[in-house]
Amino acid sequence: MTAVGLAAPKAAHVGLFRLYRAELRWIFRRPRNLVVLGLLGLIPVVIGIGLAIGRSTDNGPGNGGDALLTEAAGNALMLPIAALAVTLNLLLPLTSAMSAADAVAGELAHGTLRGWLLAPVSRGRLLAVKAMGVATLTLASAVLMAVVGVLTGLVMNGAGGLFTLSGGTLSFGGALGRIALAAVWVTLQMWAIAAVALAISACTEHPMLVVVSVLAGTIVFGVLLLLSAVDWLHPFLLPKSWDALIDVLRDPIPASGLTEGAVRALCYIFVGLSLAYARLTTRDG
Amino acid sequence: MTSVSAPSGQGASPQTPSGVAASGEAATAAPALAARTRGLRKVYRSTVAVEQVDLAVPEGAVLGMLGPNGSGKTTTIRMLLGLVRPTEGEVELLGQPMPEGAGRALPDVGALVEGPGFHPFLSGRENLYRMASAEPRLSASQVPGAVSDALERVGLAGAAHRRYRGYSLGMKQRLGLAAALLVPRRMVVLDEPTNGLDPAGTREIRKIIAELHAEGVTVLVSSHLLAEVEATCTHVAVLHDGTVVAQGELDELLESGSPGLLVSTPHGDRALESLRENRIPGKLTPDGVRADLTAATAPQVVATLVHAGVAVHEVRRERTGLEDLFARLTQHETTPDGLSEVDEGGK
Repeated sequence: MTAVGLAAPKAAHVGLFRLYRAELRWIFRRPRNLVVLGLLGLIPVVIGIGLAIGRSTDNGPGNGGDALLTEAAGNALMLPIAALAVTLNLLLPLTSAMSAADAVAGELAHGTLRGWLLAPVSRGRLLAVKAMGVATLTLASAVLMAVVGVLTGLVMNGAGGLFTLSGGTLSFGGALGRIALAAVWVTLQMWAIAAVALAISACTEHPMLVVVSVLAGTIVFGVLLLLSAVDWLHPFLLPKSWDALIDVLRDPIPASGLTEGAVRALCYIFVGLSLAYARLTTRDG
Repeated sequence: MTSVSAPSGQGASPQTPSGVAASGEAATAAPALAARTRGLRKVYRSTVAVEQVDLAVPEGAVLGMLGPNGSGKTTTIRMLLGLVRPTEGEVELLGQPMPEGAGRALPDVGALVEGPGFHPFLSGRENLYRMASAEPRLSASQVPGAVSDALERVGLAGAAHRRYRGYSLGMKQRLGLAAALLVPRRMVVLDEPTNGLDPAGTREIRKIIAELHAEGVTVLVSSHLLAEVEATCTHVAVLHDGTVVAQGELDELLESGSPGLLVSTPHGDRALESLRENRIPGKLTPDGVRADLTAATAPQVVATLVHAGVAVHEVRRERTGLEDLFARLTQHETTPDGLSEVDEGGK
């Protein structure tokens, strides 16, 4: 093609930060997103109340549940971590998937993606803004749960007794550091899910399909991890290292599981975003 | 399939602003074209949506793209705007090759394509705000003002705070138009802008198109409503089965064919007789006669008839209605079904 460039105007783009602000405004004005965030925020409270009731009625050794949860009953440090661990397997991945589904497939379904493409926003920028938006919502949900967990734990147990699984005790600042580490690590895992979800989102215009795929994928991965016959596959499965989350409660923190999980998540993010970019730039708008 | 171009449309169409011929092979450099496609073809899997489309949109024109549903209007527009990559052929928009030059061309192009697309849970103003945030021609501080102006212009200021979910079809359409008019544009592309609008709304759209035309903005409006195109456009391109079957200035296309004068009179036979005596060809019509104007001028015809004592009730210049033109251009391969999708409206 030949460019007929008589006094060709310069390509004009809106700054990425302005688009990002508009995207955040859209994400955090969406009633559904606010409801989901609210419900996620309730989870640590519900766990805390449940444990408190369980402790006062003392329902015997058989019903003590998870060791982590039992510990959380008397420990402000444990509650936010327990809440993150409980939601890590299903609720948080679903939140990320929902956000990624809205970001591209949902916008396509509403015909709203066209508006930005015609402005114009280049496809690469569009993906960058969308990924940043999804990442922000994911981070917000993990941080929200951690903060509510800490507050609930403090209300229930006070700032004392911040002992780790290894038996030592932590200063209040040290405990907050551990919780922040857990929230960041969980966020990273969820970004990995979100990146893959974005890739799926870029291939379809049915947001539901994205959520269902992530849900099914999480379950299938969980099943595969239980089968020792396919243990050669296990290193490629993201949830493999999710058990390592409670390592942040040990003293000192064993880094290997957390590091391996982080690296695995980064690989997922790279592959997911690459696929999303490849699809989004070639697809008809 | 080959392009069956109407001879009148392609051949000689004097250009409105700068007098540069814009059609056929004459258009090589074509500085006066706001948009142009050459040999455009788009295939979706096995379906050919658009084939061999050579469209020329002169700068400053209001070009009506006419064709039944499924004739390739929207696909052509989407390729013009760089939303869809053509299978074959070239697209140029405001002098930029598309879709590569989208960053340079699109800031000056406003578009309403495939109906308005907005978020149902946001208010009209908030939706528009989101669109405006991505407009390169608006600085961040200009956004709120531009949004208010656009809402005012399409008559939605009163409903701006309401959620898009609750908008009527016409209001949605107006909001889509507002998004296209957020910034002063060089070109505005409207795909079926009057869909779902009541007659008053349709009139307002026409008014807006006329205003844009007066400002020198090039307007490309697609429609399957013949009357709408006839009332608002200076140029017309007729699409049928994915090909352009005719394009050119509306008046020229309509006056193609031999000129005639329609005379209504109760004395048809006597009128015809007097015309023949004066060597003016004519024929009987249901309510009078039609005189051929190749051999005589209109005043001569009237004078002849009046001298002969024929009671002349009405005389008017024969104009091929857009509907007739459309039928003529497409009848060779059109089934009755194909035509029935076109709303009548040509006079």
